[in-house]
Amino acid sequence: MKAVFSTKPSVKEAVSDIKSQLAGYEARAVLYFASPTYDFEELAGTMENSFATASTFGCSTAGEIVSGRLLKNSLVAMAFGRDTVEDIAVETVEDISGACDVKKAFSAFEKHFGEQPQKMDYRKYLGIVLADGLSMAEEKLIEKIGDLTDVPFVGGSAGDNLEFKKTYVCAGPKALSNAAVLALIKAGREFEIIKTQSFDALNKKLLATKVDESKRVVLEFNNRPAVEAYALAVGVPPSEVQHFFMTHPVGVLAGDDIYVRSPRQVEGKGLAFYCSILEGMEVNLLQDRDIVGDTWYAIKAAKKKMGRISGLVVFNCILRTLALEKNGETGAYGGLFADVPSVGFSTYGEAYNGHINQTATMIAFK
Amino acid sequence: MAGKIKKMIDTIISTRAQGDPVLEKTIKTKLVLKGINPDSYGPSSPDDPAVIEKLTAIARDFNVNLKI
Repeated sequence: MKAVFSTKPSVKEAVSDIKSQLAGYEARAVLYFASPTYDFEELAGTMENSFATASTFGCSTAGEIVSGRLLKNSLVAMAFGRDTVEDIAVETVEDISGACDVKKAFSAFEKHFGEQPQKMDYRKYLGIVLADGLSMAEEKLIEKIGDLTDVPFVGGSAGDNLEFKKTYVCAGPKALSNAAVLALIKAGREFEIIKTQSFDALNKKLLATKVDESKRVVLEFNNRPAVEAYALAVGVPPSEVQHFFMTHPVGVLAGDDIYVRSPRQVEGKGLAFYCSILEGMEVNLLQDRDIVGDTWYAIKAAKKKMGRISGLVVFNCILRTLALEKNGETGAYGGLFADVPSVGFSTYGEAYNGHINQTATMIAFK
Repeated sequence: MAGKIKKMIDTIISTRAQGDPVLEKTIKTKLVLKGINPDSYGPSSPDDPAVIEKLTAIARDFNVNLKI
């Protein structure tokens, strides 16, 4: 694996720059993340033409991550050799906010690999999912993927530097919106999935009793207006709740694991979230912890389990990036990825078993 | 009547995971995120028709044949 980046402002120059850095490297796949300042239709086509023997795929971001650095306005890329990516198939799913038909992509995977996706070995296969971060459809998309296979699909929602206008996902020469890219990889080496969210679950439960799921708005928790119930749980007046969204999101507990749902804004007496909460679902109020320390520990644990880490792909929530910026910790956070080739981006949501917020999901290759 | 929901959940998990503990955990997590927490139901849980309907749909999506 080799991670490279360019801060050159034009697509032609940036791609040429990373191509020269990868000269002589025989890539089977090239995964890239790029600032929305680039023209994505040009970028996808240029990447495809520049790495003719590799599958190329990627997306737009709200900030890029490359070995040891958090960047803005750049193109970052990871080239994978056959020792890591033994085989790969990349498919797109269009109209994810509408029909969101993933079955066609999975039929293509079955044909390509000659195995039913539901029977694929989750220790040998690995999925990457990149979705339009403004589609409001990631829950449905990831749930449908999870219905068809138990191969872990990890990824993130494409960003656009917090402008919330348009995001892109790319596969080969195509740059699409309202779409997702699914890459199914037959791994040539061991890998681990890392998921870390730096929160403690408090013993304060909120039952979603009235929800507009399509808009990701909780109207009532515990049969009370959502803002009022949330404020009561946090212990602040309802007029001040927005100041506690970052430090006190809520989480769905699955065993001892937390799947974070982050409040976005107050809507009347309801609360809009970045990720849907289903009616009847119980969530716990969360309390933030040290992002840098927890992430260091999570990477260390994966390293201990595998013996070494030779490459990382990082999907880091933009809300975590904003918290790191606020605390002056971006340098320390980037430093966690300095020792190994790494690429990633600041996402509008992360994927692992479901759509989640304020989390870092990572693929660590041995 | 009681206990049908737990049987349905157990069938979904065991069919899909085939005894693999890692997959059992994965399937449980997927169920939680679909709004069904397996730990909330036991042999004496009432047969709530709404939950049974939801689990029937989940089993269909999971390609699991429920024979209860």
